[in-house]
Amino acid sequence: MSVAEAAGLAIPVRRRRLSIHFRPSRLVLNVVLVLVAIFWLVPTISLTVISFRPEGLFGISGWWTVLTAPSQLTIQNYETLLSTGFATGGILDSLVTTAAITVPATILVTVLSSLAAYSLVFGRWRGRTAVFLVIVALLVVPVQVALIPVAQLYDAFGNLTGLKLFGSLPGVIIFHVAFGLPFGVFLMRNFYTGIPKDLLEAGRIDGAGEWTLFRRVVMPLGLPAAASLAIFQFIWVWNDLLVGLVFLGGNPHHTLTIFLFSQTRTLAANYWVISTGAMISIIVPLAIFFSFQRYFVRGVLAGAVK
Amino acid sequence: MARVVLKDLTKRYAGGNLAVDRLNLEVADGEFVCLVGPSGCGKTTALRMIAGLEDISSGEVSIGDKVVNMLPPRDRDIALVFQSYALYPHMSVYDNMAFGLKLRKTPKADIERSVREAARILDLERFLDRKPGQLSGGQRQRVALGRAIVREPAVFLMDEPLSNLDAKLRVQTRAEIARLHQRLQATMIYVTHDQVEAMTMADRIAVISDGVLQQVGTPKQLYEEPCNRFVAGFIGSPSMNFVELKVQREDGMRLVCEGTQVVLDDAMAAQLRDLGLEAATVGVRPEHLRVGEPEGPGLRVSATVDVVEFLGNDALIHAAAEGRDVVAIVGADIHLAVGDAVILSAAPRHVYLFEPQSEMSLGAR
Repeated sequence: MSVAEAAGLAIPVRRRRLSIHFRPSRLVLNVVLVLVAIFWLVPTISLTVISFRPEGLFGISGWWTVLTAPSQLTIQNYETLLSTGFATGGILDSLVTTAAITVPATILVTVLSSLAAYSLVFGRWRGRTAVFLVIVALLVVPVQVALIPVAQLYDAFGNLTGLKLFGSLPGVIIFHVAFGLPFGVFLMRNFYTGIPKDLLEAGRIDGAGEWTLFRRVVMPLGLPAAASLAIFQFIWVWNDLLVGLVFLGGNPHHTLTIFLFSQTRTLAANYWVISTGAMISIIVPLAIFFSFQRYFVRGVLAGAVK
Repeated sequence: MARVVLKDLTKRYAGGNLAVDRLNLEVADGEFVCLVGPSGCGKTTALRMIAGLEDISSGEVSIGDKVVNMLPPRDRDIALVFQSYALYPHMSVYDNMAFGLKLRKTPKADIERSVREAARILDLERFLDRKPGQLSGGQRQRVALGRAIVREPAVFLMDEPLSNLDAKLRVQTRAEIARLHQRLQATMIYVTHDQVEAMTMADRIAVISDGVLQQVGTPKQLYEEPCNRFVAGFIGSPSMNFVELKVQREDGMRLVCEGTQVVLDDAMAAQLRDLGLEAATVGVRPEHLRVGEPEGPGLRVSATVDVVEFLGNDALIHAAAEGRDVVAIVGADIHLAVGDAVILSAAPRHVYLFEPQSEMSLGAR
């Protein structure tokens, strides 16, 4: 019997016990957990509240006064910030730019990592382990080290082909994909190693070629790992400032992080823009996280073998 | 349906290790052949070469008179039932069975019919919508069988399909596979390390040790005429007793060592004399030993009872004869206690002689 099944049997039992017997230790544990959760949520809540308070109140009273005087809440900040529409350099323009970088970068890293991992784990070519070790070694290369060489590379590529990568969205996307791949391959490869080889052999006998095996057997089983990778990569790229700042140099369209960054620089403490912009910028990653988290289901492999 | 011919089939690993050494075997159309041998003897490797999952170092595999060495598994018209079942965990039972047919672009209605039919035969109709994770071990094993059946392959290959089941389920599933074979009349090659499985199910058994085929024959042949000491010891449960004896020529031809002697009948004596042997390995099955002095020629062992295992109808006696362990099955009506001195004997036709160096059977009884 698999672990998942054992867990599946254990959960209802535990639940029943909880409702029948009152256990003080459980209560204490739950109280502590709730306190920890509140503690972690405070920064987010305060940011949310600040974004809904009038600009002028910032230096006068604390955000928590909203608990006694909720009438101060207003959507004024959002209206002001969004009123510029999709004008270049505005927040909506930045949102679109960030999405245009993050979505392709995430999809590419997830798909390419899965394909590479499939070949590294189930392929039958020599030197697979060596290639994997080289990829793992790439994990330790800091992004900063690559900035100048890659910029030069982009320039050389541009001179050669006339395609301008430096200062363009594809340039930023390629950089993010390149730096996301080592971790992606590492994660997917380690997950795929846990898929029994028998399953692929059964598939080969059933008549599946490599592509069918990948698409119909390995990829569905690797979904939890792919979802984790997609979330990591999405959030990493979404929150990136450095790569965007360097490689979008000269481009009038900014990423959200650059937009927020420029607010602190030009207007010393433009808190209403920062808090409201930050709220807008975290909505997408939050949505991604909550929609993908159901794939973090454990035990999809239950029942494959034995 | 098809016959399978293995010609000098060899698997040599990169380190020079010979996993399978020039295996020659013919499996007739519709025959049920068991490859049996201890763990690591190469039987699974041989099966995987037939399936096309393992590269063939040299030799030939033909299925239905066609050499398939270079064909991928899917073009060999075979189905393999894995020891681990290897069910697709993310697919329902129905999809697990239908997967192979879908890949072959079988029309939907035909798939539906084949899967329902297999499910009916294997009593899986109620589980078609479940995932493998929600099934018991026996049910999973039946799904794995079903996946093989629906494809209607020319040859069924099975790799220790029962070894993950508990004892009771194993006996049930064993019967199920035997019934399946009768019903489908398909060629089956079945790998197991359990000689009882092989004896009960197979038309013929191929015994393999260290990658080398030892003997092929019906269960009865292997039991009655083992070609060497390995086969004699491997087939039969509990296994055969062996003892090294010296040839003594005075006073008639006999084999002796302390506590044990074999008075040879004329045929055996003639053979030993012809070969000029000074010693021989003697084997006798526990079920052929009886309590009491021999009547005429034959084997005689004097020993002390160590352990008595009562089995109901009869009892298993472990006795010590000058430091050697002798196992005998005796009727439950014979009362023996630990520490009793006992004389065990066997008739000449139940005494097997093996050449001590080559361990080949001398074939004389």
